[in-house]
Amino acid sequence: MAKKQRGKSASSTKTADIKQQTDHFSLMLESSDDEGPEEVTFEDSKAEALRSMKQALDTARREKEQLKEKRRKRQELFQEQKKRKLLPADVLEEIDSAPSKMQKQCQEEADEEQQEAEEDQQRKKKRKRSGKLAHARNLKGNYTVQTAKERDSASFQQQAAEDFLQSRMYGPGSCRTTSNELLSLQNKTGRNKSAAVQFVKKDWACNEKAKAEKLKKRWVHKQQIPSC
Amino acid sequence: MGEFKVHRVRFFDYMPTAIRAMAFNSRTERLALARADGALEIFNFADNYFQEKVIPGQDGRAVEALCWVGQRLFSAGLNGEITEYDLENLRPRYTVEAYGGPIWTISINSQGTLLAVGCEDGTVKMFEILEERIQFQRNLDRQKGRIISLSWHPSGTLIAAGMMDMIRIFDAETGRATHRLLVERGVGASKSREVVVWSIVFLSDHTIVSGDSAGKVQIWDGVTGTLVRTHLVTKWDVLALSVSKDESSLVAGTSEGTVVQFQFISSTVDQQDKEWVRTRTFKNHSHDVRALAHTETAVVSGGMDTQLVVRPLLDKVEKNTQESALRKMSLPHRSLVCCAKKAGLLLFQFPDHLELWRLGESDGHGKPGDSLPVKRKPEKLIQLKRKGEDHICCSALSPCGGWLAYSTVTSFRLYRLQNNNISVTKVSKLPKDLRSAHQLCFSPDSSKLFASSSHSSVIVVGLNQPECKYLHTLKPKSGSRQPVHLLFASEDGKWLATANADCEIHVYNLDKLKLHCTVPVYSSCPTAIAINPTTSNLVAVHADQQIFEFSLVQKEYTEWSRKLQKQGLHSLWLERDTPITRVAFNPKNPAHIILHDMFMFCIIDQSLPLPEAKTPFYNQMTLRSLPEPQRLVHSHAFKICKNFQHLMCVSLLEDHSLVVVERPLLNITSQLPAPVRQKKFAT
Repeated sequence: MAKKQRGKSASSTKTADIKQQTDHFSLMLESSDDEGPEEVTFEDSKAEALRSMKQALDTARREKEQLKEKRRKRQELFQEQKKRKLLPADVLEEIDSAPSKMQKQCQEEADEEQQEAEEDQQRKKKRKRSGKLAHARNLKGNYTVQTAKERDSASFQQQAAEDFLQSRMYGPGSCRTTSNELLSLQNKTGRNKSAAVQFVKKDWACNEKAKAEKLKKRWVHKQQIPSC
Repeated sequence: MGEFKVHRVRFFDYMPTAIRAMAFNSRTERLALARADGALEIFNFADNYFQEKVIPGQDGRAVEALCWVGQRLFSAGLNGEITEYDLENLRPRYTVEAYGGPIWTISINSQGTLLAVGCEDGTVKMFEILEERIQFQRNLDRQKGRIISLSWHPSGTLIAAGMMDMIRIFDAETGRATHRLLVERGVGASKSREVVVWSIVFLSDHTIVSGDSAGKVQIWDGVTGTLVRTHLVTKWDVLALSVSKDESSLVAGTSEGTVVQFQFISSTVDQQDKEWVRTRTFKNHSHDVRALAHTETAVVSGGMDTQLVVRPLLDKVEKNTQESALRKMSLPHRSLVCCAKKAGLLLFQFPDHLELWRLGESDGHGKPGDSLPVKRKPEKLIQLKRKGEDHICCSALSPCGGWLAYSTVTSFRLYRLQNNNISVTKVSKLPKDLRSAHQLCFSPDSSKLFASSSHSSVIVVGLNQPECKYLHTLKPKSGSRQPVHLLFASEDGKWLATANADCEIHVYNLDKLKLHCTVPVYSSCPTAIAINPTTSNLVAVHADQQIFEFSLVQKEYTEWSRKLQKQGLHSLWLERDTPITRVAFNPKNPAHIILHDMFMFCIIDQSLPLPEAKTPFYNQMTLRSLPEPQRLVHSHAFKICKNFQHLMCVSLLEDHSLVVVERPLLNITSQLPAPVRQKKFAT
């Protein structure tokens, strides 16, 4: 009996093996329950184990390669789509020049141009501003808020006390909003109702207005190109 | 009348700082105000709420509390120091380190002998008030949390201290903490955060009133240490409390900008059961109210929106009178803009730097009311940052634009401007006497600099390129110890007029370098003075809006001034609530006086009749609609223009064009820190 089994298992494939083995087992079970288990030699089982491991590694590698292939194809597809989506180069140039003009205008209105003599001080001022913004907190959207209080403090204790005050007044859980919203609410609920402040005042929210201009130009161009 | 080309300047980015603390001295009727940058201001409530004195701030002097001890002013801040101020020389007199970490609060007992400060490390430190200084006496029992607020019992035996999550009552003699009152935390999300007792008041019947960060005003019995009543006033914090002298009214300031009043009244007719009942709510601020003072007749509040609001209580003053009007002080009562008339330059004074701008040009022509096209835009020439920690106290620009000077409380600097005002060179050799000044003024020919120094004296310094030389010190005969806050040099270089906080106006003869005359003292403080170049008459405007004209040659009031005093000024002029900060003259027409306050600028034509009490005061619009010949019949001397708001400076240049520096309050509000978010229905 055992010899027959060995011969069979050596020649057939794995699935056939399993099937045959199970068949055999079931046959065995059916025929005689009180017989001992089959003997399988060490070499056979070693070969069996090695084969199954090799096959597992093979399938894993194949799967990885398949996945890579899929990903590459997807990436290519996206690139193509993006190329298709981008507008022709000349329109892009036009769009880029328009908002930068607007921003420049806003900047000019906001702070006047400087002479060469105090360019250093101007740079220092800009650097100082970026330093201040580091302590800012985002409240709603892209609006940042910082306290008007000076943050220079001599000692660690003073800084800690100021931080405590800052966190109690403006920290989490303090339910704060922006000056823009406060003024806009006043505009909307006042006697002569008008729009929110960023639309009423010309030099407010320059960045948002520039973005809106860009989007508008893009949309207009899209409408003009026949859809493909 | 006159047609002027107007330079409308709106690039002065003046930003006032938030009000942090205030203290009212009822005997002298002065309010001391501390701002977040360390600057101190003194307002005279008896003199139409005029801002008498300003002590500039200092980097790192984060003032948290103020306290009057008689006539002396003390402040304490997060830098751990107690500072006494010299109000005659407008500077700190000395500082005492408390060695307890940042100081949160300061309070004086009713006898005026002991000063208590509450520190970060949990100690209440007692200082003895001595003649020229204060001396540390002892610490009370040290506590585990920081002491945020303090209040003495009127008898001077007990102190209540507001801390985190609790209130402690100390016995001032033994120093032991006798009671501990536990304050409930807020509901919901704030239950995990400690509640901060921001302010506390100890009344004479041993009642303690506390305001905390959970928005409650709680009434406690200080004898038994139990809670009597809780009033939930706001969803945010109650930041400040103040009680009136007779302890019948209490006000609480919140983060929403509201001020809530509680009154000690009985709900039924009989006088027996009086209790603290919430009565009025005032919403005069858009941002947090951090400082409150309760005077006899009004509630004074200030906070993050930088405005000082005085709200008279209608049960203490007569309704619908000038006294009962709401007063708001938004812009300073002194000029921060200097205009160089010949060069067309403007100097803006900020606490930490100075900006020099050149005005733009336009050669268009148009009808009144038109905007002319700008040929050359205004440009910023120089931004000069100050050296050192002290903030800039005063600054001046010479009329030719060649000299620039500024002073702090410890230093004085003079600069020479060259190359068409672009290069700046510091003048290094300065006279020894010139160490710091309260007010600066250049002579019109830019040959002399006048600096007001201690005790109403003025130092005269001669300017010769490239150095300056000390010439003389001008001293008044009255021996006044108050500082000079106004200086004006006449066009012909002959006279110098000074005004000090004692309401004295002195005129010096610059040729002889001695006192020429003293204008009779008027009870109100002068807010602007100027000398007419053609007639040599001194025009002085005072805080109560009175105008006087004094002839320097004849040393007496002029005919026009007497006529004005006899008839009296129009009631609408007297009811204005901001002072005149600058007086200018028109060289083409010597009868014109140009004045301005925050809301209007006015040209007084001395050749026209004065307005009667019943004539319409603001009649410019009606006059314009009338035909030419009829106008002269109806016009009066005061011509007021309200087209430009809110004014910081109105000046006349040499080329007969007006410069109007505006700082709309909306631009200030837009840059304030975040207010609380209030959900309103339908928004």
